[in-house]
Amino acid sequence: MNKQAFLEQLRRGLRGLPQEDIEERLNFYSEMIDDRIEEGLSEAEAVAAIGTVGDVVSQILAETPLTRLVKEKIKPKSPINPWVVVLLILGFPLWFPILAAVFAIILAAYIVVWSVIISLWAVFVSLIAALLGGVFSAACNAVCGRILAALSMLAIALLSAGAAILMFFVCLAATRFVIWVTKKIAVGIKHMLIGKETV
Amino acid sequence: MDIQLKRGLLDVCVLAAIKDKDSYGYQIIKDMKPYLSLSESTLYTILKRLETAGMLTVRSAEHDGRLRKYYHITDSGIARIEEFKEDWKEILSIYRFVVKEEENE
Repeated sequence: MNKQAFLEQLRRGLRGLPQEDIEERLNFYSEMIDDRIEEGLSEAEAVAAIGTVGDVVSQILAETPLTRLVKEKIKPKSPINPWVVVLLILGFPLWFPILAAVFAIILAAYIVVWSVIISLWAVFVSLIAALLGGVFSAACNAVCGRILAALSMLAIALLSAGAAILMFFVCLAATRFVIWVTKKIAVGIKHMLIGKETV
Repeated sequence: MDIQLKRGLLDVCVLAAIKDKDSYGYQIIKDMKPYLSLSESTLYTILKRLETAGMLTVRSAEHDGRLRKYYHITDSGIARIEEFKEDWKEILSIYRFVVKEEENE
């Protein structure tokens, strides 16, 4: 493959990224190929040394934050048909509530998931509080000479401590799982935005 | 290797490659080749990251009728290399401790 063809394919593969990013990347690869040619490689060898277009695109995609991809996607690429505008305005009472509802549902689902995580941590914190309260109360009772009450309070404190230790690992695992799922979904959305255009 | 560790190492290697003299993309790859192989895409990302962090500056200069980008290390880039050296002194001493433990087993 010659340099021109490589850069053209790369440009097509990167469609969906901001324009200035694409230009900068292409200039970078172009310079790399030229430098190899200058060193004595043939054009085809210099291009082959960079790797396949598909590999390069996948790597760039993996390194680009989702927000950049989305920002570029919502920029209109061609002038909008006036009829589409009329329809959009007339249909506003219809599509806007639906769109808003969809976003609200997605947001609500996400909040629900995090609420579970927060409530798990809340249980953990309250167990710690029970531990501290138990120890304090045991100390008070011991000072006042109520040995039985002091011992039972101490038992409660120890139970809370044990439960808190278990709870900590449950909370940690649950939080990690949700973060992992969020990342997976983000990568999935990225692929929906750009994946189909790669070579 | 741990991805975070590798990222940090690569950053410092690239800074070291431009420390004595301004350099350009292909030269950096060639200089690093004996130690670690680096793809163009990875280098691009590292250079971008270092530029954003203010550890290097970029200028375009004409070379043989075309433009080439040259990378110049800043004071904070040099400081990063020094920091790296200090960190690794510590890591090396921990390494010696770990290896010694294993030998005694």
